Amino acid sequence: MNITLVICSLLAGGALAWYMESVKAQSARWLALLTVLVIVLYFALSITASNLDFNSLQILVRVVWISTFNIEYALALDYLSLVLVSLTLFLAVICILVSWQEIQTKSGFYYFNLLASIAGIIGVFTAVDMFLFFFFWEVMLLPITALIAIWGHENKHFAAIKFFIFTQVSSLLMLVAIIAMAAIHFQQTGQVSFFYQDWLTLDLPSSTSQYLMLGFFIAFAVKLPSVPVHSWLPDAHTQAPTAGSVLLAGVLLKTGAYGLIRFVLHLFPQASTDFAPIAAMLGVLSVLYGAKMAFAQQDMKRLVAYSSISHMGFVMLALFSFNHIAYQGAVLTLVAHGLSSAALFTLAGMVYSRIHTRDLSKMGGFWQSAPRMGGFALAFTAAAFGLPGLANFVAEFFSLVGAYQRFPLLTILAAFGLIGSAIYGMVLFQSAFQGERQGIRANEGISSEIQDLSKRELLVFTTLLALLIIIGFYPNLILEFFQTTSPTLILTDGIEG
Amino acid sequence: MTELMMHSLSPLLIIAFGLVLSLLLIAWHRSQKMILIFTLAIFVCALLASISLLINSTNAIQVTTLIKIDNYGNFALVLVLVASIAVSLLSSKWLTHSVEVHDEFFILLQLVALGAGVLVMSDHFASLFLGFELLSIALVGMVGYCRDSQYSVESSFKYLILSASASSFMLLGIAFIYSQSGSLSFAMALFVNKGGASEVSLFYHAGILLFLVGIAFKLSFAPFHLWTPDVYQGAPTPVTLLLATVSKVAMFVVLMKFWFSQSSLFVQPLNGMSSTLSSYHLMSVFAVSSMLIGNALALKQQNIKRLLAYSSIAHMGYLLIVLMITSQQSTDLAWQSALFYLSAYVLATVSLFMVLQFTQAHHDSELTIVGWSGLFWQNRSLALLIIVGILSLAGIPMTMGFMGKFYLLNVAVQAQQWWLIATLIIGSGIGLVYYLTIIFTLFSTNNITDINGINEKNESLILKPLVKITVVTLIFFGVALGVYPDLLSQIFIKL
Repeated sequence: MNITLVICSLLAGGALAWYMESVKAQSARWLALLTVLVIVLYFALSITASNLDFNSLQILVRVVWISTFNIEYALALDYLSLVLVSLTLFLAVICILVSWQEIQTKSGFYYFNLLASIAGIIGVFTAVDMFLFFFFWEVMLLPITALIAIWGHENKHFAAIKFFIFTQVSSLLMLVAIIAMAAIHFQQTGQVSFFYQDWLTLDLPSSTSQYLMLGFFIAFAVKLPSVPVHSWLPDAHTQAPTAGSVLLAGVLLKTGAYGLIRFVLHLFPQASTDFAPIAAMLGVLSVLYGAKMAFAQQDMKRLVAYSSISHMGFVMLALFSFNHIAYQGAVLTLVAHGLSSAALFTLAGMVYSRIHTRDLSKMGGFWQSAPRMGGFALAFTAAAFGLPGLANFVAEFFSLVGAYQRFPLLTILAAFGLIGSAIYGMVLFQSAFQGERQGIRANEGISSEIQDLSKRELLVFTTLLALLIIIGFYPNLILEFFQTTSPTLILTDGIEG
Repeated sequence: MTELMMHSLSPLLIIAFGLVLSLLLIAWHRSQKMILIFTLAIFVCALLASISLLINSTNAIQVTTLIKIDNYGNFALVLVLVASIAVSLLSSKWLTHSVEVHDEFFILLQLVALGAGVLVMSDHFASLFLGFELLSIALVGMVGYCRDSQYSVESSFKYLILSASASSFMLLGIAFIYSQSGSLSFAMALFVNKGGASEVSLFYHAGILLFLVGIAFKLSFAPFHLWTPDVYQGAPTPVTLLLATVSKVAMFVVLMKFWFSQSSLFVQPLNGMSSTLSSYHLMSVFAVSSMLIGNALALKQQNIKRLLAYSSIAHMGYLLIVLMITSQQSTDLAWQSALFYLSAYVLATVSLFMVLQFTQAHHDSELTIVGWSGLFWQNRSLALLIIVGILSLAGIPMTMGFMGKFYLLNVAVQAQQWWLIATLIIGSGIGLVYYLTIIFTLFSTNNITDINGINEKNESLILKPLVKITVVTLIFFGVALGVYPDLLSQIFIKL
């Protein structure tokens, strides 16, 4: 199991694709696809072959990196990161397939950026040295910002700068917290350390741990995103190219949730328990506000973007209820939302590539000319509002059941978000696929005769839907990994009881 | 003077001796190529001498009361010399435009390097002032060197008058300090004062205040920054580079030397002694205002040189954090942080000004950000150099600037300067707006207005192999030291 190899080969494959595009046009996408497929294969094989017990963190590599500060290059895997890395790799394939026709200019550099950001995200999910984690956390931003800023839509620079500044400023707060933790480690043991498992043994004074926890929490809340710091997300999602949106919604938001689980909850159990009511409140606010805003959007991608905020609210609520079922629900939500929002953004991208607008009021009646697309769209919106039988239902159900035991009132409020999601989901579906044929009536030069799905698009949608259904009917596929994990969460359960 | 002293003074001696020789050389034969090669030779010799001193690092050596040579100062000298070499290479390209033989430019350049060298080695107010004036006066000549340029007179006058008033403030301050302590040596000045009565120390505080104001002018800390953008813009590009690197590095290092020789005394009587607090407060005010004002004013700049001027103000503000240490033990970390940050800053600035010089040569007007639009698709290596330089200034990981910021944050966390940390975060946040704008401009694809213009530009941007190698080396160092900072920080630890 060699994650370093995965990261390096992603980068190398990207660089090769960049170079080859200038030698032979259209070769970049094939190279990128080939690289990712080989890596997926390698990853799957080595996971099944390895006999490590991923219930706890398994250190894969640990070497000295910057000896001045005793910083190490340390990567580790457990089931949480394993699931998220698999999700990332799967969505990487989707991203490349989605960009297949969309990206025509500078495509070599595009695929380099795409693969580089995937590499950075995988680094985030596996780093256990905090400096290294921060390093990946920041480095993954650069290619994603480039994706938005170069291949985005009309207002791309603004969106890219906003995205970058939100994440950068919040992560500087986290950097300060990281340095302060290392300084505390120095005070307590006489040695500076950035190693995650060393930190777990620290005995933090409760007053400082509150502030340090906040430093981490804000950085992750921005990424998640949670309500007061969410405003980068609609812009970034809307302006990004389709694959960029898929990447942002599918994986990037999950780094925030991952950070909350791995670092905030585990490093600061007491401080997070104290903070839980506020965090849960923010989660519920995100659920309701996201649903309300999604309902009000005319822009298809913006609608899906706000629905992401709403769904991530469930994750926040579930994580801070310190309950095993809720925790399982949160992890499942990450996967389910990764798949369903990726599907919806892909849909938005496909519609955009056909009629060159994202404005819902200019759509309508697509079902007649593109029934397959309509069918998939119905399935994916149904997934987004949690239709039983699809993965999101199980995920949200678990989250709410778990959270109810700790925050009954907040959970009831959050459950209204489900109704909201049904409403905005139907708004999305109806205004695009049902109703009158807008193009003919308004005569705006937009033909309502749109092409149905091509084979490539069909492949993308079929795999996404298949996964959603499989996980929906057999959630144990993922949940079985999380039966025995998170001793800290159970511990705080005990404190609370 | 022992042999050891001579040996440790050798970099300065080489430059000083080289100056005399260059004057003789001019008297014998005037050729621009020759004087350029000779200047480079002097700098390289001095560089080798100071590197050899660094390698065989010894304890600090006091050479007379005026000069104290320690390893930190030596490293700063290396930085100064590297920057001077970059300046002379760049100016050789720029000076070919006119028919004259520009010997005096190189003489002035050597004088600046000598002044900076004296500054980073000084341990005494007299040598400080000497170095300060050598640096300033030679720089005035260089700022106004391009006589036929539109801004030449304005900028050199601004620089002359402000730097003269700064040095008079400083001189008065030194006089006040001397009147109280009876000694001009950094360390002695306070030692004597320690026993002084409280009303005596009022003069002393005024002295320190005036002295710091003088330094603040030179380092363009924020209420004293007004000259910076105009002078940066008006001066020829290599001279701007000189101002931004050599002068800043030397002044900051001497400020640190002064500060740390004091702070041993500053910190001990923490029980209500106002002297500690007032100086610390003054520096915090400088730091906070520089970070905020520098970044905020850079936001709307279109001219790249003006933008870099404001960003340099902000960077000096960040750097001031290293002065805020509260214990003697953290002095080493503070020195290491400052030197790392300065190295990153010098490397990034040299990179950016180099590109500026190469792209500017083809424009008659002053270069604005728009002038760089689409550069990435025309000349990838130059654009990458800009990106690495800008990201380094912005402090994004994988570049050296991030490690510099990491060092600074370490110092700040140890000193528990939470307000300064907050300002630094806000400042970096504001800074990203203009840094990213530059980077996005490089990638812009919509400037293809007329195809002829682009083609012409393409040809003019083809680099000579030697230049290309330099560009690649700069990119390499910017990234390598960011990814593997041990290369540099291990040197610091041995110092």
